[in-house]
Amino acid sequence: MKNFLLYLAIISVLILSGCGGGSGSGETADGKIELTFINGFTGGDGDYMKKITNGFNESQDKYVIKESQEKDHYTKFKTGNYDLVMIHTDLLETFKQDGMIQDISSLMETAGISPDDFHPVAKEQVTFDDGVFALPLDIHPMTMFYNKKLAPEAPQTYEDFAKLTTTLQQQDPNLFATGVPSAGLGEWFIMTVAAQNGINMVEDNHVNFSQEELADALMIYHDMIFKDKISPQGLGLDGEFQAFMKQVDEGGSAVQTATALTGPWYYQAVKEAYGDDLGIASVPVIAEQPGVYGAGHTLALPSSVTDEERMAGLAEFLKYMYTPENLINWADSGQAPTHIPTMELVEADPEKYPLSAQNIKQFESFEGAPKLYQYREQVRYVVENVYPKVVGDANITKETLMSELKKATEQAKQVAETAPQ
Amino acid sequence: MRISKTWSIILFLPFLICFTLFLIVPFVYGLYISFHQWSIFGGNGGFVGLDNYVSILTPGNVYSNAFYNGLKNTLIFVAISVVPLVVISLALALVVDSIPDKLKVFYRTVFFISYAVSVTAVSAIFKWLFTGNGGYVNNVMNTFGLGTPNWLNDQPLAWIAILIATVWWTIGFNMILFINALDEVDQNLYEAAGLDGANWWQRFSYITFPSIKGVFVFLTIITVIASFNLYGQTLLITAGGPAQSTTSLIMVIQQVVFNQNNLGMASAMSMLMGFVMVLIVAAQYFYTFRKD
Repeated sequence: MKNFLLYLAIISVLILSGCGGGSGSGETADGKIELTFINGFTGGDGDYMKKITNGFNESQDKYVIKESQEKDHYTKFKTGNYDLVMIHTDLLETFKQDGMIQDISSLMETAGISPDDFHPVAKEQVTFDDGVFALPLDIHPMTMFYNKKLAPEAPQTYEDFAKLTTTLQQQDPNLFATGVPSAGLGEWFIMTVAAQNGINMVEDNHVNFSQEELADALMIYHDMIFKDKISPQGLGLDGEFQAFMKQVDEGGSAVQTATALTGPWYYQAVKEAYGDDLGIASVPVIAEQPGVYGAGHTLALPSSVTDEERMAGLAEFLKYMYTPENLINWADSGQAPTHIPTMELVEADPEKYPLSAQNIKQFESFEGAPKLYQYREQVRYVVENVYPKVVGDANITKETLMSELKKATEQAKQVAETAPQ
Repeated sequence: MRISKTWSIILFLPFLICFTLFLIVPFVYGLYISFHQWSIFGGNGGFVGLDNYVSILTPGNVYSNAFYNGLKNTLIFVAISVVPLVVISLALALVVDSIPDKLKVFYRTVFFISYAVSVTAVSAIFKWLFTGNGGYVNNVMNTFGLGTPNWLNDQPLAWIAILIATVWWTIGFNMILFINALDEVDQNLYEAAGLDGANWWQRFSYITFPSIKGVFVFLTIITVIASFNLYGQTLLITAGGPAQSTTSLIMVIQQVVFNQNNLGMASAMSMLMGFVMVLIVAAQYFYTFRKD
């Protein structure tokens, strides 16, 4: 029986040791200090980030960056142990309030990087009352891709879209000027039209959707679909991109659009599909004034990192990364860096970095997510319930819309109240 | 052969350890967390008693809205999926069981192989098939002049698309269990029934079904449990839409944990979900038991 209990103890220890979580960080076999960096760059941009981290690793004999590119990197970050994490700008306030990231100012100072090295919009996104909580990497605003064969000139206004539709419809009833999706980039469509109407979406600590001006602004998308037929109906999830990528066959069921208001992460796909026929332009003014919504990538320091040696390693990495000749790799991927010396390199060679150069032009009219706790959860109801009705229900009235927007605001208020006290 | 008591315990031990580690401990720990304000990153923020449960069950707040919507959608899926998943797999098993032995293995594999495909791949395939704008199904329907429904953006079409994907994906598992049950049916009974002039339906009603009834009840119960766990298909095919109408309860719980970092609330939701599942399965079990 004594042996039996011993075996039982050994088996239990073996099983329990397998249950240990976290990525852990330590030293490599050749004595280098290993620093873990987790991000969500699983698309075409991932290779370019790898180029930067590999470049750093080759230049180093003291530190090594172990980079993890994960589709669901936030989940892994929350349940693991990492030294550096990529965070989208709209999540910074939440991560900060939940105590998941810390002030990165001293690390930036060690690396010789100043918040003033960044475009003012990017600087504003990472600067809070109690410190600087991330290092800006890029801004990815909504972008317009256009098919030069169907639209020789990029539409710049609502009227241009309407004219283009008339021209295309004469060619084929399945051709449209642009696509308004019902899901996927809903938040970007809502906030872009709000920015173009100069609507302040924040009240106290929550998003305030319950505004007549917002209802009027959202009805623009309704009119684009049901009144002016600028967009086809029922495009669904990521429909703006799918419709742009379609090729219409005679008698087929598919609809095709000449332009796509979408995310820059589709750049590699559209470039491959269109080649020289691909045009890139700023988002048109479909309402009152120029304005575009989007997000941005930043690099943040997890609260768990306190070791000075590791901090020194991270400073080395950031110093390497934010050298324009190295960070330009990020522009090569299509992303628009916000680091001013790197932006200057991009602007000096727009032929080589067409998407990046175009999006840098949009920085001036860029409107990022407000700094609110659980912002993504605050907008969930309006994005998943209200917006699909605007673009999916031909008979929706402003009264119905206002009542839904009130409900959305109430939900946003409740989410905001869950903030840590 | 007689196995000693010690060996019996040793052989049973791996199951007991895994059962304890992966079921009992998480359950008890989850129950404990559900009575606390618990952030996934910040840890235990203090005992809150039944507050999390009260928030979920009191209509009108953000948690109860999400919970009731997720529960309603999940119950809809359970209601529409259990009958086809059990009946179609039984029908397939009867067909495969009746074909010549040489072909049986081939068809059994063909119908089972979809079960080995990951939910990610299944969802990608069915999303492409049912895409409203130029998807394969709509192209075929358009060829025959049948119109082009917006499968993934209109209800009840979105549920139909998810149901078809789920049936195709999981039907093989139930079918294999039915085939195994059919193999156990005493062939002498069929011979006797044949001599008595029984037709196919009479043989099925009086011999086949009563003989496999235990497996039928078991499969119905595990299919209800499996349907309650709807997650991957709705997440990847419809992203919970249109208008959150396919957002399942597990999707809601996942959002509360990983988006809102609220482990306490999510644990309470999980406990309530488990309670609803136990109620339904117990009702099923006792209904069958009482009838017997």
